[in-house]
Amino acid sequence: MAFEELLNDPVIQKYLHELVGPTGMPVAAAPPDGEVTDEELAEELGLELNDVRRALFILYENDLASYRRVRDEDSGWLTYLWTFEYDQIPEVLESEMYRLLDALESRRQYEADNEFYLCPEESIRFEFGEAMEFTFECPSCGADLESMSNDQLVRAMNERIEQLRDELNVESQDEAPA
Amino acid sequence: MSASPEADLTEDERAGLELVRQTGGIHQSEFWKELDVSSRKGSRIVESLAEKELIDREETVYEGHNTYLLSPTAMDLDFQLLMAGDMLSPFVADDELDEQSDAFSQFVMRLAYQ
Repeated sequence: MAFEELLNDPVIQKYLHELVGPTGMPVAAAPPDGEVTDEELAEELGLELNDVRRALFILYENDLASYRRVRDEDSGWLTYLWTFEYDQIPEVLESEMYRLLDALESRRQYEADNEFYLCPEESIRFEFGEAMEFTFECPSCGADLESMSNDQLVRAMNERIEQLRDELNVESQDEAPA
Repeated sequence: MSASPEADLTEDERAGLELVRQTGGIHQSEFWKELDVSSRKGSRIVESLAEKELIDREETVYEGHNTYLLSPTAMDLDFQLLMAGDMLSPFVADDELDEQSDAFSQFVMRLAYQ
């Protein structure tokens, strides 16, 4: 099996699982060395050929596999020879860390700029403006909305933002809102 | 990918790799001074580490001189920071998501209350 070191990382496993789903996971989790056909994979893994093809196609769309077509001289059929290209997974996940950092920073701003109300019955959250429109009653069940602190949310975001900046060597440009 | 390429590093190479990882990125002109080796030896260490893909090497100008910026590879990053509990950052499998989406709200909630 190839890319063993990468595949030992639980987050990389999770990432592949997210892409190909549970049915495709046997294909994604055990990339052979060198080239392989869909039929070989199906037989080796005991899977339906269609499930194997679906998984390979998803990997291909995400630049994690490539193929080469070869025509069988006797039958005239095309064979697809697949190669797994997992080398760039670390770079992909690195850029995802930047993306998460950006998203957390904008979300923190939104959380700091707004006040929130909660329906205690249904755990639905409303911005102050929305809550006011509904005269502080849940539009779904009529319960009185309660003011809700998001301190813990902001604290958790602050902590992760710091960890990501530290890991990615990103200078912190602005101070966290209080 | 066979056995970890870190297994057969020399002592100097190991120290060099450690230095790059600890600093998160260092110029080659500082690298050999920090390691307390000659510049020639420093560049041999860098050559070997870059060839084994254990560090990234990028041409740059530092204090008016052409040098290389040496940095850890993406594989050294702690990808666990993409997780909230057992949930992966929802942006990973979805290009169009924004930070107000339900999926991301769920992620943030998980961060705070896991």
